[in-house]
Amino acid sequence: MFLAAFTSSGPREVSPDATLLSRLLQRDVSAFEQLYDRHSRLVYGLVLRILEQASTSEEVVQDVFLQLWRNADQYDASRGPFVPWLCTVARNRALDHLRLKSERQRRREDQPDVLPSVVIAPEYEKALDEKRRAERVRALMASLTPQQKRAIELAYFEGLSHSEIAATLKEPLGTVKSWIRNGLLRLKEGLQGTT
Amino acid sequence: MKSCDQFRELIEGYALGALDPEDRAALEAHLATGCPDCAKAVQEARWLVCQLAYAAPEAAPSDMLKGRLMQTVRAEAQAKPHVMPVKSAIPFWLWAGVAALLAFSIYSAWNTRRLQNEIRQANERAAVLQAERQKTEQELALAKREAMILMDPSSVKINLKGSDAQGPQLEAKWHSQWGVVVMGENIPMPSPHHVLQLWFIPKAAGKMPMPSMMIRPDANGKFVLLVSNPPESMDATKALAISEEPEGGSPWPSNPPRYSGGVS
Repeated sequence: MFLAAFTSSGPREVSPDATLLSRLLQRDVSAFEQLYDRHSRLVYGLVLRILEQASTSEEVVQDVFLQLWRNADQYDASRGPFVPWLCTVARNRALDHLRLKSERQRRREDQPDVLPSVVIAPEYEKALDEKRRAERVRALMASLTPQQKRAIELAYFEGLSHSEIAATLKEPLGTVKSWIRNGLLRLKEGLQGTT
Repeated sequence: MKSCDQFRELIEGYALGALDPEDRAALEAHLATGCPDCAKAVQEARWLVCQLAYAAPEAAPSDMLKGRLMQTVRAEAQAKPHVMPVKSAIPFWLWAGVAALLAFSIYSAWNTRRLQNEIRQANERAAVLQAERQKTEQELALAKREAMILMDPSSVKINLKGSDAQGPQLEAKWHSQWGVVVMGENIPMPSPHHVLQLWFIPKAAGKMPMPSMMIRPDANGKFVLLVSNPPESMDATKALAISEEPEGGSPWPSNPPRYSGGVS
């Protein structure tokens, strides 16, 4: 039921996250703790997948949640669901960390800053709890061809560009673009069919 | 130029942040045109990309992380017990605009008042200069008239002899059209609270002397007096006389003449 409160159509309910976030704006420490308990595993898992190092990942997760505590007003609940916003913040922060150690930092500076607040749930969004959603996404990813899955993972978890992925996989650029696009479209179709 | 369909092929890569700079610039330029279909597709693609977070293996952070976080948060909550500022309903740029407008209005009002003061002061200066100019023109006209009376050969010269034969003598010139000029030097000052007054003595028997202008010699006893409109014509005037009269003048002579001369 969580995401239903943030969908762009249909009757709206106040989600637990929305309630907790409104309390967070009033500096409610208990609300912050509950938000952390609800989402820290997802955020930490994402960051650890990107950085592959526990201590650094915990530093990033700490930064993400402190940013939430200190700048909760930056999240506009009317513009999109909370969890995708939080995951986007965490991914950006983790990729920044990753790129600080690489020569790709310069390219990162040229990248658009994908503002988390504009992540809007599409009309086909179904109200899945996080556990079922994770199971569904992992199942759909497993259903992709190995090339599609690998290309998407290189882009999402390692922050590589199309041309960098093509160089990494030693495949033509157009082929890599097709793998990523077709893989994501397959994922979209799968989520649309989720009930 | 790429078609909308070709841009749609870039949208998933854009949401992933995986587009190379050229493709990204081309798509952003297209989005900047306001294409509603592509804008909606970008929104959906971003949401889709966010779902990839669930593909990461779930893992639990250490209890120490939560401990550190809660310690920091509790400390900050106690240090800053105030309510976190909520986004203002009025954006900063609007406040800035209102402030700029207010400042401009105050400046305009101040500037208008300053300009009005400057205009008023300029008008006052212009009026003073105008008055001075008129006075100068009048003085110049009188001086010119005096010169014409004194220089014109048709003017009649009149010597005004003093009652004291050893004293100074005055001189007058009378032009039938321009008036009379009376002048003298080394004239003794009149008694305190008295002035010298010019009289026109008519020829007609029994007619009283006609009072004219007051004479005020300077510190050296010198004066030049122009009488533009004598009360009597030259033909009807027997003589000119000057007597000492109380300050302000008299309607008729109250003292014997100190200087007098006949009009020939």
